[in-house]
Amino acid sequence: MEKSIEKNSSNSKRSFLKLLFLTVMGVSFGGVIYPIIRYLSPLSQQKEGEKVEILKDEVPIGKAKFLTYKGNPAVVIHTKAGFTALSAVCTHLGCIVKWLEDKGEFQCPCHAGRFDVTGKVLSGPPPNPLLQIAVVESGAKIVIG
Amino acid sequence: MELIKDINKKVLDWLDERYDARQWIRENLTEKWVHKHINWLYCFGGLSFLGFLIQIGTGIFLMMYYIPTPKDALASVQHIANNVPFGWLFQRLHSISANVVNLLVMFHMLRVLYHGAYKKPREFQWVSGVFLLLITMAMSFSGYLLPWTQLSYWGAIIGTEMPGATPFIGEWLLQLIRGGAQITGITLTRFYAIHVVVLPLTLIVFLGLHFWMIKKVGISGPM
Ligand code: HEM
Ligand code: FES
Repeated sequence: MEKSIEKNSSNSKRSFLKLLFLTVMGVSFGGVIYPIIRYLSPLSQQKEGEKVEILKDEVPIGKAKFLTYKGNPAVVIHTKAGFTALSAVCTHLGCIVKWLEDKGEFQCPCHAGRFDVTGKVLSGPPPNPLLQIAVVESGAKIVIG
Repeated sequence: MELIKDINKKVLDWLDERYDARQWIRENLTEKWVHKHINWLYCFGGLSFLGFLIQIGTGIFLMMYYIPTPKDALASVQHIANNVPFGWLFQRLHSISANVVNLLVMFHMLRVLYHGAYKKPREFQWVSGVFLLLITMAMSFSGYLLPWTQLSYWGAIIGTEMPGATPFIGEWLLQLIRGGAQITGITLTRFYAIHVVVLPLTLIVFLGLHFWMIKKVGISGPM
C-alpha cells in the first residue's frame, strides 16, 4: 500500500517536472523565435485606401514621378491634358516600367512591352493596359487614390 | 510524449547504425569525464564562444537593414532601433554584448594566467588565445565606426592615428587603414568589409586551432 502511494507521488512529481521543463523550454524558444520572425517580417506600408499627396511642382509637364501607392510602385505623368496616375507594374510579368520622356511613352525593361500615356498597350507581350489610379487636383497639390 | 520518445529512438537508432551516435553522445556529453578540480572559472572560454555566437547571430540580423554609406549609415541604424520590430533588441544585444565579449575573453585570459595553464604543452593555446583577443578587440574597433556617429568618427581618427605613429611605415599604414588621408566613406565600407567578413573568418580559423589543441592536449591539471 505504502509502496504504491510512493510510486504514485513520485510519478506525478516526475510528470509535473517534465511539464514544467517543457513549458520553460517552450516559452524560452518562443521568446527567441517571436522577435526574430517579427524583425524579419516586412514593415507594414500604407494602409488600404490611403491616399498619396504630392505637389504639382514635383511633376513638370512631360515628366513622370514614381512613387509608392498601397505598397506598390505607381507613376504620375503630367501632360498638356493634365495629370494621370498609373500603376507602374507591367501587366506582363510584373517588371517596373520606365518613362521615356522624349517618346512620351512607357517601356518595360524586361521584354520591351510599350504603353502610351494612358496606360494602353502599344506593343509587346503585356496582355492588359496599366492599371489606372484616380487623380484629383486640389490647389497646388494632387491627390492620388 | 510516447510518440516523441519513439521518434527520438528511431532517429538515434538510424544515426547509431551509421555513425555510433550514442557512443559519441556518451563520450562527449553525458558521460564525459571531467576533472574534479574544474570550477566555474573554467567557464569563461566557453562563455566567450557563446558571446561570439550571439554576435554572429545578431550581426547577421543587423546586416539585413544596415546601409554602409556616410549618407545612410546613421539613419539605417536609427531605423533599426526605432522602427523595425524588435530592432532595438538586436541592436542593443549586438553593441552591449560586444563589450561583454571583450570582458569575457580577458577574464578567460586571467584565469589561464592565474592557473599557469599556458605552460608546456599549452604554449600555442596561449599564442592562439592572444590572437583571439586581438581579433576580438579589432572587431570592436571596426564595428564602432559603422553607426557613423560623432563618437564613431572621432574614435576612428584616434584609433587610426595610433598605428600612424609606427616608425617608418606609420604614414603608409594609416592611409592603408583609412583608405586615404581622411576618414571618409571609403573608410566606412573598408571597415564594414573587415568587420563582417575578414575578422569573423580569421576568428573562426583561430577558434578552430584553439579548440582542436584543447581536445588534443586536454584541460590543464589542478594547481
Ligand atoms: C563543401 C562541401 C563538402 C565537403 C568539404 C565534403 C567533405 C567530405 C570529406 C572530407 C569526406 C571524407 C571522405 C572523402 O574524402 O571522400 C566526405 C565524404 C562524403 N561526403 Fe562529403 N563533403 C561535402 C559535401 C557533400 C555533399 C553535398 C554530399 C552529398 C549530398 C556529400 C556526401 C558525402 C558522402 C556520402 C561521403 C562518404 C563517401 C564515402 O565514404 O565513400 N558531401 N565529404
Ligand atoms: S514584364 Fe514587362 S514586358 Fe515582360
